[in-house]
Order: sequence, then C-alpha cells, then structure tokens
Amino acid sequence: MLNKIIVAVQKSDFDLNSELETLKLKTEKAGAVVIFVGKVRDLDDDNLRYLEIESFEDLAKSQIKEICDDAANKWDLEFILVKHRFGRLKINDNIVLVITSSKHRKNAYEASAFIMEYLKSNVPFWKKEVADKTQKWVENS
Amino acid sequence: MGKVKLKYFSRIRETIGKTSELVEIKSTNIQDLIEELQAMGEQYSVLKGRDFAIYSAVDQNIVTDVKTSIEGATEIAFFPPMTGG
Repeated sequence: MLNKIIVAVQKSDFDLNSELETLKLKTEKAGAVVIFVGKVRDLDDDNLRYLEIESFEDLAKSQIKEICDDAANKWDLEFILVKHRFGRLKINDNIVLVITSSKHRKNAYEASAFIMEYLKSNVPFWKKEVADKTQKWVENS
Repeated sequence: MGKVKLKYFSRIRETIGKTSELVEIKSTNIQDLIEELQAMGEQYSVLKGRDFAIYSAVDQNIVTDVKTSIEGATEIAFFPPMTGG
C-alpha cells in the first residue's frame, strides 16, 4: 500500500511549485512526474460569467482516496496527489490538480489518465455554468 | 425506521428547495423511500428520475441498487450524475 497519497477537497487554489516541493520531500526515487491541471474554460456559444462547483465534501474525499489506492495497486507509483476545488470559479481558474510520480514515465502517465477518468463521473462534484444568456448544470458527454 | 437526515445536491437541491432535512421515515430501502417522499410534496417527484439518473449515498456510501437496505441509516443523500474533473 502506497503511503504517499495526498487528497484534498478545498475552496482555495493550489500552488504547483509548493506541491512539487512536497513530492520531493516525500520521495527521492521518482524519476518521472506527470502533472494534470483541469481549469475553467469559456464556452463556445456564450460568455461564461463563472462556474459554480458544488461538492459533497466528505464523500468526494473518500471516493478520491479510493481511486488513488486503486491506482497505487495497479501501477508502481512513488507519489499521488489529487486536489479538487469547489465554489465559484472564473475563466482560467484551476479546478483540479493530479500529480502522479513513478520511477519511469509510463506508470505515472497511465495512472494520471486513470484517475482523471474516474474523477469525471464517480466523485460527487457538480458543475453549473452561469453565462450571459443561460445557466445550466454540466452533463457528462 | 425513525428519523433520518436527508441531503440533496445540485439539481435535486434546487428543485426540492433545501440542502437537507430531518425526516421521520418508514421505508426500509431506497426505492420505497423515494415513493414515501412523494407524499410530502410535488417537488419530490424529481427523485423519480424522469429527467436524469438519481444516485444515492447511504451513510456516505454510494449505492447502485435501489433495493439496498436503509435500516439503521442516519444519513441518506440524493444527487444527479456526477461531473467532476
């Protein structure tokens, strides 16, 4: 069981450099670090005012922790960090950060994609797009 | 059964008009509870899931089978499909 897993569900933003420093303190065996950042984007057919992300915080945290444990069982990883934000976010604000780290790049890449796929539809967050003309809850395509 | 805290999220929260409530219930599974809640008002018909799938979590465990027992539960949450990431 990998004990270098950090999970957070938070309102505040995250800082990439400080998270990378945390990683370096946790492990010196990792030669590869894959970073995924999901951020708020503008809409194609309307002007987004803001994105409201609602969360069931405790359950979201335990669901993310579960998928990190699954990833650690499937791939040989040195470190996993997942931080997901909620609240009112503007265009270009960060939503989610996934850092996976392993001795060599393949495991970190695959684990990162695996975690993000799961996050999309298995963790209790809901996004509402509030734009100039419309406001609607985002649905998974 | 007894009193259970019901929590609502996203579109369900908006339709029912509250984030949570403490309710005395008789039902012993999710399916029956949804039926039972219909009697409390028209707004609870959103839980029938006509427009989107309804998910539930019993004491913070997501359940996929509506026949799942809720006996002894203290908190039951209802929410639409999740859209994280």
